Amino acid sequence: MKKRRLLGHQHTHFYKAAGIDYYACQSRIRHWNGCYKVCAAVWILILCLILDHPWVSAFVILTVGAINLIGNGVSFWEYLSLIKVPIAFLVMGCGAIAFGISPDPKGDWYIRLPWFFLYFTVEAFIQAAELFLKAMGAISVLYLMALSTPASEIVMVMRKMHMPKLLTELMYMMYRFIFILTEVHSNLKTAAISRLGDADFRTSCVTFGKIGANLLILSLKKANTYYDAMVSRGYDGEFFFWEEEKPVRIWQILSLGLYTVVLICLERNL
Amino acid sequence: MREEILRVEHLTYEYQPGYPALKDVNLSIGRGEKIAVMGSNGAGKSTFFLNLNGVLQAETGEFYYCGEKITGKQRRNLRRHIGFVFQDADNQMIASTVQAEVAFGPMNLKLPREEVQEQVERALAYMNLQQYRNRPLHYLSGGEKKRVSIADIIAMRPELILFDEPTSSLDPYSANRLEQVLEDLSKEGKTLLISTHDVDFAYRWAERIVVFDHGKILADGKTLEVFCQEQMLCQAHLKKPEMLQVYETLRKKGLIREGSYPRQAGELAEAM
Repeated sequence: MKKRRLLGHQHTHFYKAAGIDYYACQSRIRHWNGCYKVCAAVWILILCLILDHPWVSAFVILTVGAINLIGNGVSFWEYLSLIKVPIAFLVMGCGAIAFGISPDPKGDWYIRLPWFFLYFTVEAFIQAAELFLKAMGAISVLYLMALSTPASEIVMVMRKMHMPKLLTELMYMMYRFIFILTEVHSNLKTAAISRLGDADFRTSCVTFGKIGANLLILSLKKANTYYDAMVSRGYDGEFFFWEEEKPVRIWQILSLGLYTVVLICLERNL
Repeated sequence: MREEILRVEHLTYEYQPGYPALKDVNLSIGRGEKIAVMGSNGAGKSTFFLNLNGVLQAETGEFYYCGEKITGKQRRNLRRHIGFVFQDADNQMIASTVQAEVAFGPMNLKLPREEVQEQVERALAYMNLQQYRNRPLHYLSGGEKKRVSIADIIAMRPELILFDEPTSSLDPYSANRLEQVLEDLSKEGKTLLISTHDVDFAYRWAERIVVFDHGKILADGKTLEVFCQEQMLCQAHLKKPEMLQVYETLRKKGLIREGSYPRQAGELAEAM
């Protein structure tokens, strides 16, 4: 695959663990201005929620989905597997709205169950469907942001928006450490399994606990060496990271404006 | 005689009171020297490097940089002139992309943006990393990470570079490329101190060997002189380089030119 070659060597487990971030790093629109991407995503999200119209939501799902597939280079099946978890939650939540439980038979359609009736009304069904579309639109937009902007850039954007430095620096460190800890954890786990650490359920539980304890000690140790390395390169209590200058293009702003107009028209005309 | 760049006098460092990791270490380093620091695990090599770089600050000991005594707060400034390439590149990586990582040091030096960019470009070109510029660090291989960790330090333009076991965990190809980079740095006049367990590498590369044992300097001298002290090598748990052993065997049999002391296979063939 092209994008796998793009990023070169890596381990399979790692690829899974860092799925979304991995896509963000190889996205075709990665070089766009981070602030623009985050603001545009939040803007479309707000529009999708405020306009609250099924056509608007459907349009957002389709267009944003298309950008995710084409712009961010995620294949259809991979995209589907990414959004299947939120879809599952939405289906359950909307199902609860569409269907009702009653001791007496009522609604447009019902099934008799041992102690109660499960019914549904067309009205509630339409309401649930609209809600589903709206939430799906919102989720697609958030995926658009996550799949096109690496976490480190999102942190940079937050920093520009004057989030407290302590928080952004912590987020940055956590972002970096997640990858280190995932790798250390997977090494520990492989080493444990290779010594029959998963022989039966009891052993697996014990192994799990031991890996957890070791991970804590190792992470403390790593944090220490990490700090030394930072100090040796002149760190004195504050991060100064290199930020690439990615200017926002006029056409990008215009297309966002056009998109907004289309969404409003959809809501007005239909 | 080379111009002295750094001198350490009576350096003693304790991680815990009563257990000194370095005991009264005295060392003078000349500009442009290629020094291999050897010794068994726990002999104090890494602690010594961390002290030189100013990460660890010993209570006792004096530092002279270019003849000038370094005191108190100035110790932190040593970092500007002395770069440290850590053994495990992963522990050194802090930013999220290669470019940002290499820029971390120069940014901390508070250089203007254009200069940071210039240094980063130079360091990336030096380590042949231009095409990796925008890659996230956690998707690089071990050899690539090592190259980034060296570029990190080159971008800070230090006079003296400390390498903590740079060849460990590298495949032969990467190790060879690293030796080439060390050679290039040396030609540029950088002073290099490398801690290593690899006696063959030390014999091939270094012009001076410093041997640590239990926090003290056990031997310090020209490469050949140090590797000829068999008793000392035994005490420091080191062994004689293969090439030196081959030379001595061939010399006994009269098959090699006396005093040729080849350091590489090519030189050996020539001397026979």
